[in-house]
Amino acid sequence: MARKRKGIGEGGRSLRQMLEENERIYRETGCYAGITEPTVLADDPVKAELFHSRIMAALISGRETCRLVSASPYVREVAELCIGVFTPEGDNIAQSTGIQIHVRLMADNIQWMIRKKYEEEVGIEDGDFFIANDPVISGMHAADVYDILPVFWERELIGWVSTVIMEMDVGAVSPGCMPTPNVERGTDGLKFCCEKIGSKDRLRRDFEHKIEISLDMCDIFLLDRKGAIAANVRIREELKNIIREFGLDYYKRATRELIEEERRNQIARIRQRMIPGRYRSVVPVEFPMSKQPVSWIPGRVDTIRLIPIQMDVGTDGYMALDFEGAGEWGWHPFNGTPQALWGGVSIVMVQTFSYDGRANLGSLLPVDIKTPTPDSVLNPIQIKKLATSTPWAPMLDLFGMWTHLLGMAFYLRGFREETFNYRSASGWQMAGYDQMGTKRPLFAAGTGNFGPGACGVCDGVDCGGWLATPEVDLGSAEVWELFVPQLEMARRFEPYGAGHGRFRSGVGIPTSIMIHRTQQCVASGALGSASDRIIPNLGQFGAYCGGKRNTFLVRFQDLPQWLEKRQPLLYELGFMGDLKERVEKMGGEIVDVGLIPEPTEVFEGNMLIANSGAAGGLGDPLERDPRRIQEDLNQGFSTDWIARNIYCVKASYDDQAKEWRVDDAESGEMRQRKRAERLAKGVPVKDWWQKARQRVLEHEIDPQLTEMYQSSARLSPAFLKEYREFWALPEEFVF
Amino acid sequence: MPFYEKKDLRDLFNGTLPWEKTREIMSCPKDDDRFDKYIQILQEQVTYPEKILMPLGDHLNVVQKGSQRVVKCDCGREFGDWRQNWKLNALIYVRDTREKLEEIYPGFRCPDPSVCEVREFYCPGCGVMLKVENVPVGYPIIFDVLPDIDGFYREWLGRPLPEQAEFTDMTHDVTRGWA
Repeated sequence: MARKRKGIGEGGRSLRQMLEENERIYRETGCYAGITEPTVLADDPVKAELFHSRIMAALISGRETCRLVSASPYVREVAELCIGVFTPEGDNIAQSTGIQIHVRLMADNIQWMIRKKYEEEVGIEDGDFFIANDPVISGMHAADVYDILPVFWERELIGWVSTVIMEMDVGAVSPGCMPTPNVERGTDGLKFCCEKIGSKDRLRRDFEHKIEISLDMCDIFLLDRKGAIAANVRIREELKNIIREFGLDYYKRATRELIEEERRNQIARIRQRMIPGRYRSVVPVEFPMSKQPVSWIPGRVDTIRLIPIQMDVGTDGYMALDFEGAGEWGWHPFNGTPQALWGGVSIVMVQTFSYDGRANLGSLLPVDIKTPTPDSVLNPIQIKKLATSTPWAPMLDLFGMWTHLLGMAFYLRGFREETFNYRSASGWQMAGYDQMGTKRPLFAAGTGNFGPGACGVCDGVDCGGWLATPEVDLGSAEVWELFVPQLEMARRFEPYGAGHGRFRSGVGIPTSIMIHRTQQCVASGALGSASDRIIPNLGQFGAYCGGKRNTFLVRFQDLPQWLEKRQPLLYELGFMGDLKERVEKMGGEIVDVGLIPEPTEVFEGNMLIANSGAAGGLGDPLERDPRRIQEDLNQGFSTDWIARNIYCVKASYDDQAKEWRVDDAESGEMRQRKRAERLAKGVPVKDWWQKARQRVLEHEIDPQLTEMYQSSARLSPAFLKEYREFWALPEEFVF
Repeated sequence: MPFYEKKDLRDLFNGTLPWEKTREIMSCPKDDDRFDKYIQILQEQVTYPEKILMPLGDHLNVVQKGSQRVVKCDCGREFGDWRQNWKLNALIYVRDTREKLEEIYPGFRCPDPSVCEVREFYCPGCGVMLKVENVPVGYPIIFDVLPDIDGFYREWLGRPLPEQAEFTDMTHDVTRGWA
């Protein structure tokens, strides 16, 4: 009789048994690992603090190790990597500094392996390396590559370490590493479904051959793997040292208590900082694919999809997110997944609540996501056939909106200093020949080129944004110029993109590069995919959201002469209303190529400008202190046009003193007139509602929007019912 | 737990607290008595006698008026039961043409009025802009926040309010009567 195989988990159990048991206990007790009375950490707080510090120190030093081994500027310059340590069941215990989106995503990869019986069918041994980058399993986009390492102690698997790095090249269709002109899975590039790529602490040679043959930037990719492996192994060995010092029993209990302790702390933070209730908004997302050169012809269609968002905060301190009414999936690379939603939850919860270095799975346990309707843009059933190079893109605006809702709750509770919101950015990516004559993807990082939303007690951070990673600095521009045939151009703040209000958003600074020393190069849009024909609903209370984002291609006819004369190029975009005419006078042509420009050939001297918009201001702009406007004018954060038209402030430039000054008396009168004007031109909502309802009834709505509403109604009877109720439409009404 | 003087919090809200102190408040653990001080500060800023139960945003508060809870602007203008979207009782100005949108978003910054409208909601009493809403044309007016006031006072503050009210969205009761 065959002997039953012994599992590699605790007490000879399989990892699957441990995972299922852990989930059952959580369901039954509501406490992580059934820890209803956490005692180990509380009994000796000093020891507990030392224990946690040792784990964090291991993670952070591992991260730095990775940066030293890797060659990619994403790793070395931007540090776009993160490392986590996990329980045997794949639950996050602690996370290094870096992009916090992966707290749950790394775990989902590990748990996928456990559920797929890797232990029995693939084998999990001490010294094995696994690699994953398939958003169908877990992840925000294929460019994020996870390196996963099991940790054993005397033949028992006692945990995992996982590192994630964003890669410049995963073999995707041109341009870039997160292309937009792709709709089918094969065009995403290499996909690794938690594959074993090494054993006995050595990378397999056949894997290296595969990478060398498949990727133009194989050296960068392999060095990143080696960096990640060095980090993982270093952390594994440090975890063993920690176990030697603290004991295995303590390690097992304390790591689980860290998760339960964080769950309790998170609920306490929610109850301390928020107001229970229902919070709502909507994120319309545009997918302009009609001009993209995709080979699956039905994918060439422009669509808009609604993603309503509702946050319910319960009196029990738990939050639930509901996207009821989300429209249908489409043939484009931007469809989200339920897993990607958890990535969004990770980053928002960690960076708005759990920023004390104790973030782990417990930070996320008080949040629940109602599973998005199957076939919606957040849960496409055909996901395996779809491209998933950029599910990240709509998620940025969606979770920017969630941050906005959280900010509203903080504001109501009195913690105005925590109020904040953000939106996605626009950008360029390329493919072509670099300065050395090698053809490859060309995707450079950028500075934080847009302005985050206003805080409830001050203006937003100028060019400070985005939420996804605290590192909004591209590092050394000169290093990037070695990797991409471009020159970083001088640039200035662009005030017309700001969200105006009593406190304004941060002011963005357009990314501006010039194509330089390439034989052939193709450029297209990157990242920002969500709406801009419809600007986001991020104005906080009586403030505006920043305006439409732009992606400009600028060509000058006589560039060499212009440079010879040392004439300034477009370092300052100036007034947005006459920009096109001004550039034409310079002998240039400015092409607004839309938010996701289709691939376009670019040439020496062409300029690519990504002019992102800012998130929301806060409060009525007429209540902004005129002194702040004066400061803005003097620092180049505002213009006379903005001061006069938005803020109703009279400003004039003093040529002698070389500074702007505001006229308080005149400004006061201008503001009074503006308030009177509002009362005169505003109409009772009831009157407007009746006219707007008539338009809805008579279907006098743009055909693309009609299709958008139809799409939501097809999937969600609840959405249609509520729509009918608001507009008091008859039962038989359809879009 | 940190303790802050009411004056410092008032300055913080007004944006006049020195940055060093503002930064300290941002970075420190949160103060448990913030809500009560917040309500006191808000109450001192209005001239109406009704007790503020909960702010709803800049200038708007839910107040206890007799046995009713109504939304009220700082100027005294009332917007009805807090469970009905207060926007229905505001003035609205909709930027739905390129010309109107370009007053805020000039040139390349302008959204597309065929699919997008910017709705500005003003207080009919004082003309303050209470909310700006950007949505696709035809989208219902968003009910941004419906706070569970009783749940909050009862479960989180441990001080149940004397008058209890059902926590439910009653907005459609209003629009039904408008058709």
